[in-house]
Amino acid sequence: MNGWDGFLHGLSVATQPGVLIYCVLGVLLGTFVGVLPGIGAMATISLLLPITYYLSPEAALVMLAGVYYGSQYGGAVASILLRLPGTPQSAITTLDGYPLAQKGRAGVALFTSMISSFAGSMIGILVLILLSGALAQAAIAFGAAEYAAMMILGLVAASTVGAKHPAKSMAMVVLGLILGCVGTDVNSGEQRFIFGQTELMDGINLVALAMGLFGVAEVISNIRVAERTGVPPRVALRDLLPSRAELRRIPFPALRGASLGSFFGALPGTGSTISSFLAYATERRISRRSEQFGKGAVEGIAGPEAANNAAAISAFVPTLSLGIPGDPIMALMLGALVIHGVQPGPLMLDARPDMFWGLIASFGIGNLLLLVLNLPLIGIWVSMLRIPFRWLYPAILIFVSLGVYSVRGSSFDIFAVALIGVIGYALSLARFNPALLLLGFVLGPLIETNLRRALLIGRGDPMVFLQRPIAAAFILAAGALIVMAVVQVLRRRAPEADEAET
Amino acid sequence: MIISRRAALLGAAAMTLCKPALAQDATWPSQPQHVYVGFPAGSSPDLLARIVTEPLAEKLGQPIVIENKPGAGGVIGIQQMLNAQDQKNTFATTINGPLTTAPRLTPSLGYDVAEDIVPVTLIATSPLVLVVAADFPAENLADFVQAAGKEPEALAYGSVGKGSGAHLTAELFSDRAGVEMLHIPFTSYAEVTTAIIGHEIDCGFMAPSAAMQYVEAGKVKILGITSETPFAQAPGVPVMAGQAGLPVDFRAELWNAFIAPAGTEEAIVDTLSTHINAILADEAVQKRLLDMGWQAAGGSAEELQQRIAEDTKVWGAVLDRIDAKE
Repeated sequence: MNGWDGFLHGLSVATQPGVLIYCVLGVLLGTFVGVLPGIGAMATISLLLPITYYLSPEAALVMLAGVYYGSQYGGAVASILLRLPGTPQSAITTLDGYPLAQKGRAGVALFTSMISSFAGSMIGILVLILLSGALAQAAIAFGAAEYAAMMILGLVAASTVGAKHPAKSMAMVVLGLILGCVGTDVNSGEQRFIFGQTELMDGINLVALAMGLFGVAEVISNIRVAERTGVPPRVALRDLLPSRAELRRIPFPALRGASLGSFFGALPGTGSTISSFLAYATERRISRRSEQFGKGAVEGIAGPEAANNAAAISAFVPTLSLGIPGDPIMALMLGALVIHGVQPGPLMLDARPDMFWGLIASFGIGNLLLLVLNLPLIGIWVSMLRIPFRWLYPAILIFVSLGVYSVRGSSFDIFAVALIGVIGYALSLARFNPALLLLGFVLGPLIETNLRRALLIGRGDPMVFLQRPIAAAFILAAGALIVMAVVQVLRRRAPEADEAET
Repeated sequence: MIISRRAALLGAAAMTLCKPALAQDATWPSQPQHVYVGFPAGSSPDLLARIVTEPLAEKLGQPIVIENKPGAGGVIGIQQMLNAQDQKNTFATTINGPLTTAPRLTPSLGYDVAEDIVPVTLIATSPLVLVVAADFPAENLADFVQAAGKEPEALAYGSVGKGSGAHLTAELFSDRAGVEMLHIPFTSYAEVTTAIIGHEIDCGFMAPSAAMQYVEAGKVKILGITSETPFAQAPGVPVMAGQAGLPVDFRAELWNAFIAPAGTEEAIVDTLSTHINAILADEAVQKRLLDMGWQAAGGSAEELQQRIAEDTKVWGAVLDRIDAKE
């Protein structure tokens, strides 16, 4: 069965009433929990998992997947309005979405994010239909050397995100790398920096770190603002929709972001996080308005949002065809499949075409639903900003605590999120960018593990990184980026001082 | 906290039919029971716990709440069971690691297996299979051992982390077969399989369920299995014991057991053991376990106690060997 036939067959599965209704249910629930700060797809899917015993495997997976990508739409809402990313991949959306919302243009930011998410998903689905076989092959061709090289490229690209203050950006990435060292070292089995806490053996909880750095820190820094202003100004209706000039700035960044996302998402690991950072860095680099980035550039929302949604779709390739989950949520999905007696792996595409293609087709239907559902809701989401801070912020703290606890039922993580929140507040006072810390934290352990694994496999020869063509290409690209950055800094040093802020 | 809804419903329905409990405390069980699992929802140990606790809730006439407390290779689940300080209504299911090798591998473990844990019964066992790429130049274990013995570290094997069953089994095998292989740690069987197919590494020990699909797809082949007898889920795979110079009693199995905190009444342990053994004798349950790669086991508390002692010794010796190498 080729891609198109498969997709058409999948549509016939996904439009069965018994499957369709769970698709609707999934995306609705996903949007809702995505918007709630702190509670995300992870908690929801693990709560739903036991209930899926009673559904057909197709309906179960379609619903859980709906929660997963639906929460990405909702997550952008919290990122933009409240500077509360639920996941590392939506952290980058806060960089431009939140400033735009602060200027009273939250509607524009939300519109951009939703339309880009939709475009990203659709392109991701198209890539999946045309290239699912090739993507699975690519994932096998990626060994430790390729991963290490790719992560290095990701880090180099990301360090250009905060180009204004290179030293501060670097400091955040490095702090993230250090925090990523906490826990059991995969290679030696040694426990590092756990200070006798068994809870730290698996490292610092990613959700606690993201929620603390962004959510709790944001609440603390708003205490003073809340005392002063009370209620934010009412948003005029015409500010909800982007101007024609702004609309024109969406398609190309979204297209570029979606291509990056489709490719990196297919690589198990943290493809979607890397792709959203890479998309942001790319847009910033090629934009003629690069000085607007970080202050509410539409491109800075469109690129990353398209990228992480495309990646969320193509991430199903390694999950289903290799059984390698890209993140903890995908691991839960694998569990759901196993409950229903479906073993993900190379035979799945042939053995369970209903399942595989039904799921892919449901992505299309689900994303369409999400767009139709969310566009009219923009006004309602924006009005959330008018909830008085004295109600909103305590509620956020409750949701954050619930969300963090729900990941693995550990009260240790609640204390961790509170402490990280205080640190995050201190960092934001000193104008450090916590998104880069998060990136370092996510990529650090992966770089380390893969670098050491590649060297182990190569019996200690560092040439493994240059002998393997894909790895060498990544290393060269990273080198080129560094050279470009240096040249740019040297060339721009003089005129930059004169540039007026817009 | 995840409550199996079916278990809750069945439990409620069965309450009216509650059988007279064997326990001395005639009121037990008078409230919902908690079973701690040191792995996340949807993982293999979690699914196994649910398969067993669903019918158990029915037999006890009380709902059973599965408490997923993942982390530290299952150790946190046991710590949390002990922290609950309720020797009537909290129990745990666990894989072998936290009861056998964790005292060696985990500093600040926080419990003593012999003093703090009361074994109830073994639930299931799982052997491991030796997997190589389909084009690996060996058709049987003897060829493989010969290839591995050409020079030290001629072959590299993948495991799911230091101290994991896959790592310890490979080292036990190397020791008994008199070869030396290079250890490359990964974090999941799927990663190991992918690395074998991509020819990054040569081989690995893994659960049969992780390998069978790749065998059918013609990507890998299996050279042997570590159980004493052939395993239904891996038909036609020869037993390793007695082959290629391995001793006839060569055996390496992962297992999963039901345990209680120290201080739990003997009568409660007996009741649980009786019920669980009855559940494991059910063919439908056996099939569900087998589909996931587990062989239903059962047995008395004493047998589990003995198994813990034996494995602590065997794997302790393997760990000594690994430490000596480093």
